[in-house]
Amino acid sequence: MNATFAIAGATFGEAVRKRILMVILLVALLIILISPAFEPFAAGRGARTLIISFGFGVIQLAGTFIAIIMCTGMIPTEIERRTIYTILSKPVQRYQFVLGKFFGAVGTLGFMYLMMGIVFLIASRMALGEFDPKIVRGLIMFFFQSSLLAAVVLFFSTFVSPLVNYFLSGGVFLLGNLLSSFLETIQRNPEVTPITRIPVQILTVILPNFANFNVQNPIINPEQVLTDELAYLVQTVAYAIVYIALLLVASMLIFNQREM
Amino acid sequence: MSDLAIKTVNLTKRYSGLWSKQPVDAVKNLNLEVHRGEIFGFLGPNGAGKTTTIKVLLGIIYPTEGEAYVLGKPAGDPKNHYKISYLPENPYFYDFMTGREILTFYAKLFGIPEPDRSKRVNELLDRVGLSRAADQPLRTYSKGMQQRIGLAQCLLNDPDLLILDEPTAGLDPIAHIDIRDMILDLRDQGKTLFISSHQLSDVERVCDRVAILNRGVMVQLGRIEELLAGGHVEVIADKVPDNVVEPIRQLGGKVSLHDGRLIVEQPDNGSVDRVIDIVRAAGGHIISVKPYRRSLEDLFVETIQGGRNV
Ligand SMILES: Nc1ncnc2c1ncn2[C@@H]1O[C@H](COP(=O)(O)OP(=O)(O)O)[C@@H](O)[C@H]1O
Ligand SMILES: [Mg+2]
Repeated sequence: MNATFAIAGATFGEAVRKRILMVILLVALLIILISPAFEPFAAGRGARTLIISFGFGVIQLAGTFIAIIMCTGMIPTEIERRTIYTILSKPVQRYQFVLGKFFGAVGTLGFMYLMMGIVFLIASRMALGEFDPKIVRGLIMFFFQSSLLAAVVLFFSTFVSPLVNYFLSGGVFLLGNLLSSFLETIQRNPEVTPITRIPVQILTVILPNFANFNVQNPIINPEQVLTDELAYLVQTVAYAIVYIALLLVASMLIFNQREM
Repeated sequence: MSDLAIKTVNLTKRYSGLWSKQPVDAVKNLNLEVHRGEIFGFLGPNGAGKTTTIKVLLGIIYPTEGEAYVLGKPAGDPKNHYKISYLPENPYFYDFMTGREILTFYAKLFGIPEPDRSKRVNELLDRVGLSRAADQPLRTYSKGMQQRIGLAQCLLNDPDLLILDEPTAGLDPIAHIDIRDMILDLRDQGKTLFISSHQLSDVERVCDRVAILNRGVMVQLGRIEELLAGGHVEVIADKVPDNVVEPIRQLGGKVSLHDGRLIVEQPDNGSVDRVIDIVRAAGGHIISVKPYRRSLEDLFVETIQGGRNV
């Protein structure tokens, strides 16, 4: 476990020194901070919806970019620069290396979400005059969404190049966001044959469902009414954790066979 | 097997070229035995398969055929790595960390707890002469300083076996001497050293035994003094009459005589005295007697070029 955390720590240290990630974070923070200025464009309850939606949108976008940019190169760069040779020549199991990389990524995401969350809470509090608990729940959801995405990227990075990974994980993220509502739509349509429906159904089940995490955004999900918000949150987080665990196991199995 | 630090049995590593159609046998049927406590030189030109062999020994890549054992256990078992150290070829470390941070990082990988960890890191920074630069990021380090960090990370765990891949490549002569001294120091402590090199320097001369690898095949193996046996002595003399050529030639050397100037290349086997006697008896005048030892370089070049013609 020692080794895993040492690797996670080094991964975190390297990520927070990456200029591109810091630029994304700073731009996101800046936009969140000035978002209350949009208030005059919408009246009454609309203002709240707009500000919260906008903030979540920025945070989700930043989280997505950070997860993908950070994780595509995480393992390939270690191999290319050969920093991994000295690490694997120590008493470090390969699964510990993969786990350490993932924990480092999640730690970085946690740090980024913490920064964005604090600024978002302050900005929305100033604009709305009150503290909205929806924001905290939304932050947790998007943090787990990004963490799941990080696991997807890390999984692909054990066997494809960073460039291919950008497209693969970007594609999985898009599909994972859209497939479940697409499936609902075609299920309501009696004209859609099973030949079309079943592949969509299979894909929806296999690919990670990223849409689950978007419910807190009042613009993306206007009509979503959650009877028990806490139960939904726990369920979705549990889904993320199980899916992440499966991805990590698959990553470790592939990485174990890998030659460097 | 326990007296062997490294053993390979018919080790073959084939890279199935994805892009080039032809698969490459980077290492072919290698049978290697390195004894505990010896300094073993693993020599060969670029591309001979040295790094490939080392990577197999560390479990970074897997053998295509054959077996490899390190300290009596199958190669690549991370539990075995508590007693092994590795300095990669052109090592590269996380350059955002300082010297102290990177050594602390590796010490954590070994599971060395505090306060031993800090103590050990400080000791080693001192030992490799980096105490003053300890808190600068590695990206500001020169190549020589990076190599010294590489050596320090090799010593963290007080290893039984050190595997050094081209430890002197690209370093200045002073650094060569530093590394050689360190190797001798480690030998005195009873460590086993496995050192690969494609260029010969003082470092290889301290080896007890060397193997020479060429295109994945081991073409020489033995103790250095045995491999280098068979030098010659060159005798040059002046004012020598023609009639001495024949008796000297019968002693087995190479003889040439022009305008009274005699040059004899005599095998170093005690017959040199006889050559000198004959020359002086004939009224010749000895100018110089110079022994030529076969050098490791000669052996290396002869071996590799010999291999090329096969
Ligand atoms: N990952 C790889 N894929 C394909 N061929 C490789 C790979 N690594 C090394 N080789 C080839 O294997 C041979 C031996 O390389 P290497 O072990 O690095 O030699 P050395 O360390 O003695 O210079 C070379 O022909 C090299 O091109
Ligand atoms: Mg090499």
